[in-house]
Amino acid sequence: MSNWKNLTGPLSSNNPVIVQILGICSALAVTVKMEPALVMGLSVIVVTAFANLVMSLLRNGIPSRIRIIVQLVVIAALVILVDQFLKAFVYDVSKQLSVYVGLIITNCIIMGRVEAYALGNKPWDSFLDGVGNGLGYAAILLIVAFFRELFGSGTLFGYQVIPDSWYIANGGFYSNVGIMLFPPMALIIVGVIIWVHRSFNKDLQEK
Amino acid sequence: MAKFNVNSNAYIIIYSVVMVVIVAVLLAVTSLSLQERQGENILNEKKQQIVKALGEDPATAAYGDVVAEAAMLDKSGNKIEGKNDADIFNALGDLTASFDAGEFPIFKAKNGCVVVPVYGAGLWGPIWGYIALEPDMNTVKGIVMDHSGETPGLGAEITTSNVQSAFVGKTIFEGDELVSVTMRKGGATNNHEVDAISGGTKTCDGVNEMLKSGLTGYLPYFNANKSNK
Repeated sequence: MSNWKNLTGPLSSNNPVIVQILGICSALAVTVKMEPALVMGLSVIVVTAFANLVMSLLRNGIPSRIRIIVQLVVIAALVILVDQFLKAFVYDVSKQLSVYVGLIITNCIIMGRVEAYALGNKPWDSFLDGVGNGLGYAAILLIVAFFRELFGSGTLFGYQVIPDSWYIANGGFYSNVGIMLFPPMALIIVGVIIWVHRSFNKDLQEK
Repeated sequence: MAKFNVNSNAYIIIYSVVMVVIVAVLLAVTSLSLQERQGENILNEKKQQIVKALGEDPATAAYGDVVAEAAMLDKSGNKIEGKNDADIFNALGDLTASFDAGEFPIFKAKNGCVVVPVYGAGLWGPIWGYIALEPDMNTVKGIVMDHSGETPGLGAEITTSNVQSAFVGKTIFEGDELVSVTMRKGGATNNHEVDAISGGTKTCDGVNEMLKSGLTGYLPYFNANKSNK
């Protein structure tokens, strides 16, 4: 039962982005379109899960003075492995992500979860915690990307959803909202999500 | 674990050394074992882009069916003998060095069109592409552009067919002068211009510079083959 909580907790009540406020920076960068957001979410799930697993297996032998360095090495190695495999087997996806794969290393969620959870818990629990937090992160990314792509480009996953005839250029009344494509809008959307989320989860509201 | 002190200096040093060696071996083995496959992917992608620049669909048209010859030109537009396909594709990997060395790769299609590679700088990193010209060496047959780190939704739109199809049919010569094709902010006004991408001005500037400087290197070849007509 506690395992289940590790997996589902981060989806809502303990979401890494909107409750723990981790990983905001990359949430701004990769959410202009849904497709990179999805692949980024999947990659982060893999890396958080395995970083948590490896660090949890090593947790009793790590000298506490160099534990941050050890964490960095493990995370960086995992990210490079993911990058290499993407390049070899799904080259198209790896091109989609370009620089963002490398940026997974600096994603605060991964180190945050390793430091806060994996170093003090059993491997299987830690693995699930990693998967859960990755999922929570991916979910927020997709929500933000949904609004940004829909209103910014009029498409979803690259497919046009807003009819051509609506656009002013074709005699309609609608035009894409350019500011949606800029990073500040991602921050505003994340803010709105936090607002909505807290108004439903009263126990999270600061007194 | 209780036998020794995990915080002693000796343990820390041994721990770090062992960790680094293990990680280094792991990464080296992965990299070496995947290298061949990655190389193939990259080569394949170049071939597909050349096919795409010629207006064919890479899914149905193979490189060998479309391209008749890959050649290397010197500064005055003459073919350098003794270069095989591998040399030419290697040159594509580092175009700046190749252009500086006076070597210009070119791909001649079976229908008389030619494809030349171009290379430049966008806002965040390198951009590159292939531009295909009709046999008159003037009209753009097609263009393929790619980038490593332009902003998605803005500069990165140069990879979309919306942007690239606008280049088709444009001409690169005004009389005898090479004017290239430019992406103009505010909309195209003549047959050497296409619409720029709003919010992607810096990337568009990079594209303009890339096309102009890239095509200039092939000018002697274009002139020689234009006058043949």
